[in-house]
Amino acid sequence: MTSLTSKQSARAPAAALLVLSLCVSGCPTGSSPPTVASDMVTIVFKHGKISGDPRSLQDLLHQFEARHPNIRVRSEPLPSSTDQQHQIYAINLEGGASGMDVLAMDVIWIAEFARAGWIHPLDNLFEPGQRAEFFPNTLEAATYQEKIWAVPWYIDAGVLYYRKDLLKKYGRRPPPTWEELVETVRIVLGGEQEPRLYGFIWQGRQYEGLICNALEFIRSNGGDVLRPDGWTELTSPDTVEAVAFMRDLIHRHAVSPPLVTMADEETSRHLFAGGRALFTRNWPYAWTLFEQEGSPVRGKVGVGPLPGFGNRAGVSTLGGWHLGIAHDSRQPGAAWKLIEFLTSPEAQKMMARKAGIAPTRAGVYRDPEVVAAQPFLPALQPILASARPRPVTPFYPMVSQILQSEFSAVLAGLRSPRAALVAAERELLHTLLLERL
Amino acid sequence: MNRQSETLTGYLLLFPALFILTLLALCPILILFWLSMRYRVLPFGIDLFAGADHYVVLLQAPRFWNSLGVTLYFAALSVALEVLLGLSIALLLSRRFRGAGWARALILLPWAIPTVVTAKLWDWIYQPDLGVLNYLLQNLGITTAPVNWLGTPSLAIHAAIIADVWKTTPFVVILLLAGLALVPRDLYQAAALDGASSWQSFVHVTLPLLRPILLVVTLFRTIDALRAFDLLYVLTGGGPADATETLSLYAYKILFQTMQFGYGSAIGVMLFLVVAMVSLLQLWLGRQDMRRLVGRTP
Repeated sequence: MTSLTSKQSARAPAAALLVLSLCVSGCPTGSSPPTVASDMVTIVFKHGKISGDPRSLQDLLHQFEARHPNIRVRSEPLPSSTDQQHQIYAINLEGGASGMDVLAMDVIWIAEFARAGWIHPLDNLFEPGQRAEFFPNTLEAATYQEKIWAVPWYIDAGVLYYRKDLLKKYGRRPPPTWEELVETVRIVLGGEQEPRLYGFIWQGRQYEGLICNALEFIRSNGGDVLRPDGWTELTSPDTVEAVAFMRDLIHRHAVSPPLVTMADEETSRHLFAGGRALFTRNWPYAWTLFEQEGSPVRGKVGVGPLPGFGNRAGVSTLGGWHLGIAHDSRQPGAAWKLIEFLTSPEAQKMMARKAGIAPTRAGVYRDPEVVAAQPFLPALQPILASARPRPVTPFYPMVSQILQSEFSAVLAGLRSPRAALVAAERELLHTLLLERL
Repeated sequence: MNRQSETLTGYLLLFPALFILTLLALCPILILFWLSMRYRVLPFGIDLFAGADHYVVLLQAPRFWNSLGVTLYFAALSVALEVLLGLSIALLLSRRFRGAGWARALILLPWAIPTVVTAKLWDWIYQPDLGVLNYLLQNLGITTAPVNWLGTPSLAIHAAIIADVWKTTPFVVILLLAGLALVPRDLYQAAALDGASSWQSFVHVTLPLLRPILLVVTLFRTIDALRAFDLLYVLTGGGPADATETLSLYAYKILFQTMQFGYGSAIGVMLFLVVAMVSLLQLWLGRQDMRRLVGRTP
């Protein structure tokens, strides 16, 4: 006989969730709640590949199963391209009977999944008391229409990597402003006279990473893409100026080589790791790889916040992954247990130690074991905590499509920043009009 | 009476074909037109009348005009190169020489490779730091720095065309070889007797007799090239700066990555119109050409 919960949940997931939520918060952890009988349940956990050692996640799942003998977790990895992951989710969840329980979601999908009804709201399960331990920006990204839809699993933010040795040689500091970065690159490249050494590598390829990079330039100049009221800010002078600066980095200042127009994170990482660049913008995952045994830049790399324009501080784009429950999950109770476990301080500690993945709970950054294994993590905490989410809108995929196309046209020198942003605004408003319906 | 029943039988015999055509060709096109006049985002339950809204926005979007240009340029240049190259190779292979069978089999190889594999193959060839093309160019002293083939808009489109030509020329070769096999040998002998040079016998014997098949090949290839999707999807994804974004790639992104079925369908309608117009133009030109040809040799 299947448990009462699973039968109920198939028909009335919300009611079942409520029952479970009372139990989850009321029951001591470790003992199984009375509504879940001792029958075995299997839950399907869909996620992309985790950077770093894949065994760290497998170990965690085994630990979870050991603690919950009546729950089996089937871990189903998705293709590495996030566009493909999104498509797999969209097709299966929209079709119903997806056979998925726990979903790992890119931070930018949550509003869309919520609006489409593909995931459960978690307000009854994920209580304000528990939420307080997470970085507020990760919660902001998971909030749509005043409900919370997912639990932050790990966090990402753009950071600036630099060559400590080269900066020291020329008596330069890590640049607090973009203007100083340009100057430093000129001085160092001028002094080195090494044609294979590039100045500043970032991600200018036409893909989601370009949006992350562009938002950092735009917001560190006081501009933005969407305002909280849903109107656009694309044609504001601050935004236009920042986009022009991105183009100028390549075409006017010659601080970034033309190849950044096709560079993604991995291209950038390989160039920097090969000692081919003075500065690079990337996510925290790159640190462990720069510092690994045999890396030509080992011990020569510094990491810090991104620069800003003038007196403004740099602004990093928030990335990362959240965990949610599929709307048609037949085991929402067991699914929630897995989410609770994977986002627990203990699991986050292990992922941080073994895979260098940045936790979403501030407390983990103070853990002595974590600090010992990943000494760079505490230094990153303020950057991660202040990173800003991309626009939270269910139409984000369309917003991103439009912006990728226009930003890319500017970088290639095909359109002026102003013309491109005016065109983007027109298309964007056509889409955002639907949000008001 | 008899004639009437014969007409009826005729229609009855046509019915299955007409029914299938309606079901598989006409219905989807009508649905596409209907969808393009709606705001429809299926997952969000949005389904509203849009009228010409999508077309108004589309016709003002630089991205649309860009992808229309890319589609036409890609099709025109790749088909022209494929037919020229395919004709030369077919002429070469139609001669009898040692190893002709082997040569014919080998030339077909690119056509037998799945397009996704072809695209990946060329992706590696074009890589700036690791690609074999840059390696060769630099070692031969033709270029000093690696060329960013897929990262420069003006180069990427041509890089894609080269990959497409490599892949589809064999298709043209097969069809033209079949056409060449149909040219009677005695016509060449007669031409030779009249003292025609090989160039003259090519222009006056081979080419006119090959015309119908050339028309078919060009039409097939043009329709195919206008819909180009898989090669570009894998090779460049439409970038950089949409320099390789064809209408089908654009429609795909809007339809399946953003779920805007209405707006995406409007792009689909535009693609349909382009393919229809170009095909009709080619058929018309072909018919004119035939008429001229038949009129000249009564």
